[in-house]
Amino acid sequence: MTQEARVQEFVAAFERLRAEVEKVIVGHRDIINHVLIGMFAGGHVLLEGVPGLGKTLLIKTLAEGLELSFSRIQFTPDLMPADIIGTNIILEDAEGRKHFQFQPGPIFGHILLADEINRATPKTQSALLEGMQEGSVTVAGSSRPLPSPFFVLATQNPIEMEGTYPLPEAQLDRFLFKLRVRYPAIEELNAIIERTTQVHPVAVEQVMTGPAVQGFRELIREVPLATHLRDLASTIVMATHPDWEGSPEISRRFVRYGASPRGAQAIVLGAKVMALSQGRYNVSADDIRALSAPALRHRVILNFEGEAEAVDVDKLVAEIVDKAQERMSAGREAFLR
Amino acid sequence: MTADRGPIQQTEALARLAERVARQVRRRRAEYHALRGLLYGAAAAALVLLFKTPFGSLALPIAGGLVLLGLLAGGLWGLFQRVPHEDAARLADGAFGLQDRVATALEWARRPDRTPLVDALVADAIAHVQALTPRQIVRRRVPREVRWLPVPVLIGLALAVSPPLPMPSGRLPDLSTSTDQSDTKERGELAMMEQDRRLVPKDALKRPAMEERDFNQRGGTGASPTAGDLSAIFKDTSLGNQRPDFNSFLKKGDERLKLLEQVDRLPDLQSDFTQSQYKMVFRKSKALTGGLRPDQISPQRLRELLEEMERLGRKGGANWSGDAMEGMDALEGGQPDKALEAMEKALNKMRAMDEQGRGGKNLRGGRERNSGQRGDRGRGTGGGPDEQDFGEGEGFLPGKGKSASPKGDASQRLRANPYDVGVEGESRQGKKDGYDTNMTGRGGKMGSRLSYLGVIGQYRKMMEDAITREQVPRDYHTQIKDYFQALDER
Repeated sequence: MTQEARVQEFVAAFERLRAEVEKVIVGHRDIINHVLIGMFAGGHVLLEGVPGLGKTLLIKTLAEGLELSFSRIQFTPDLMPADIIGTNIILEDAEGRKHFQFQPGPIFGHILLADEINRATPKTQSALLEGMQEGSVTVAGSSRPLPSPFFVLATQNPIEMEGTYPLPEAQLDRFLFKLRVRYPAIEELNAIIERTTQVHPVAVEQVMTGPAVQGFRELIREVPLATHLRDLASTIVMATHPDWEGSPEISRRFVRYGASPRGAQAIVLGAKVMALSQGRYNVSADDIRALSAPALRHRVILNFEGEAEAVDVDKLVAEIVDKAQERMSAGREAFLR
Repeated sequence: MTADRGPIQQTEALARLAERVARQVRRRRAEYHALRGLLYGAAAAALVLLFKTPFGSLALPIAGGLVLLGLLAGGLWGLFQRVPHEDAARLADGAFGLQDRVATALEWARRPDRTPLVDALVADAIAHVQALTPRQIVRRRVPREVRWLPVPVLIGLALAVSPPLPMPSGRLPDLSTSTDQSDTKERGELAMMEQDRRLVPKDALKRPAMEERDFNQRGGTGASPTAGDLSAIFKDTSLGNQRPDFNSFLKKGDERLKLLEQVDRLPDLQSDFTQSQYKMVFRKSKALTGGLRPDQISPQRLRELLEEMERLGRKGGANWSGDAMEGMDALEGGQPDKALEAMEKALNKMRAMDEQGRGGKNLRGGRERNSGQRGDRGRGTGGGPDEQDFGEGEGFLPGKGKSASPKGDASQRLRANPYDVGVEGESRQGKKDGYDTNMTGRGGKMGSRLSYLGVIGQYRKMMEDAITREQVPRDYHTQIKDYFQALDER
């Protein structure tokens, strides 16, 4: 199969999967795109939004569109790590002998929906850390690999903060993207009403297998990235650090900690998926710009002044991207800008 | 079509596009710099036409040549500047909406670690480039300063048709004469000076401004100025016998500038107490009569001195004018001894008036010094008639002068001021116009003032940095800023 054919196959698969999700989910096209990009990039996605916007439904629909196992964990304050990872239980065989047998938890699935992840204690939240980063978990001293592809989709509610445990920075950094699910427009709301109150529910077809997802993940890493675009991604991430010499004023004023190198990886990997999903063989500056906010908004920690002035991280990142592009073009002759 | 060729060969179409864009950039650059060169050339041409006298009939061709030269030089400069291929490719990507295809394909086609997708990328980029319609993508830019181009052009045109401006023919004053004369030996002997003065025409002596100054006091400036020689002005100062030494001014300038802040301590230059009329005349009389009997004194010089005293007295409305007149009459009558007595009387009156004027500056004259009043003013007991006369305030306050006060010696800061020792006399009793802060101890050796505006600026900047970096609650920001605002208003 030629490269062009592989790319066309990916584009078609991407479109089919999106179409299946859009059978159920009305609107939120950007959110769907970014969830799919995160999945093909091999990362995990955190969805943040008020209740009732379809976050859980979106993830369930995506899982239905893939021939992959799906697990759901409803995070609560009394949830324990063993409830996620699994535990050894004592079994008695036919001869009456007892032995330990590992009973895998819900983490052993291809797609894991961690619903309201910020309601569990940090101890339980951290049970996901190893699995998200390494693709394996350690139980009773033995490491057990998770099925591949492994994809965590978590949700959290930004307004009900009582009885919640905000995710620590280390855990947030494990998510490739953080997506903000916003309230639908009135036309979308009308469509939701019509679609969800009719007699026959919508059936979602399975359009992609696990090995296919794995194959596309390998293809995506072959997408070439020009040097100047790599430099742009690095400059954007560095510009989120208030102590960096080239940081814009807005970073120096409102940011306490900038994004980690995982932020740059997330931008570039996401940009590659976005390029390929549009049938392009290369990353463009527009891809990097479009994915900067989802990749950086949970990695940039505001300082007191930023919190006090209710600085919108998305606007902050957008300004940082603008400044980074200006900085990149500052050294070039005026005719080339 | 491209299967049997390597990626580098396939990128020819892309390289051609980049080259085409680079040519456009060079052309636009040539236009841009040619316009700038035209402006500078026109300015130079206007200058040539302004001063066209030395150029004669060649002025117009030279001006035209300068305009053309500027145009050509600017154009060539822009044309031959390098345009990197990568930049041209990026420019093409941006202008044609190619989404970085060309730049990425050109870069990755040369890389040894290219992935299989690169071939597809190159083919895709070529397909996109071949579908393009060639067009001009580099915008023409006009230099901002070119809006001033009509100015030199119009000025040049006006100058071209107008008659030439007269060239300035003035000469700067020749200071070399006075400088050279500073190297000659000092003419201190009064006899020589008097000999020179006799050669001066009498009507010249009637110029009061020059006549009333005692040039002999200044040392080495005895040469009579010639008419129209501006260097005479400089001969009338103490700098006249010194070479200009800018470095010494830089070293000492700091101290001199500090004095400007102490307005009340600056000497009254309009009434120089060290060069009063009395002293001037007194020195002349001493030079005239020193060691000589009355019959040995030159009647001519004595008459001149008396005439001068009479003129000074008449001009100032003083009462020694009559004594001087008596002396001149006695001299006419062949009685030089009476003439000398009259001169002594006039001198005494001049001295009295001089001391009266000194009293207006809160200073005591030499006669008062012996009047026994000092004991009343708390000065230490060590002072005698020949004791050096220190400045105002010396010895009248604790810890000053030679008093045995436990607070120590006088502040060096006050002593360091040369004008304190340059003015004769002591502080008199009663209310004074001004006071010096009498600082003692460690503080007296340090500057007593800070530059308020400089310091407040530093603190303001520190405040702004602190507000930005530290976690200062927002409610406090306004209060802090108001505080500094209030300081500014003060």
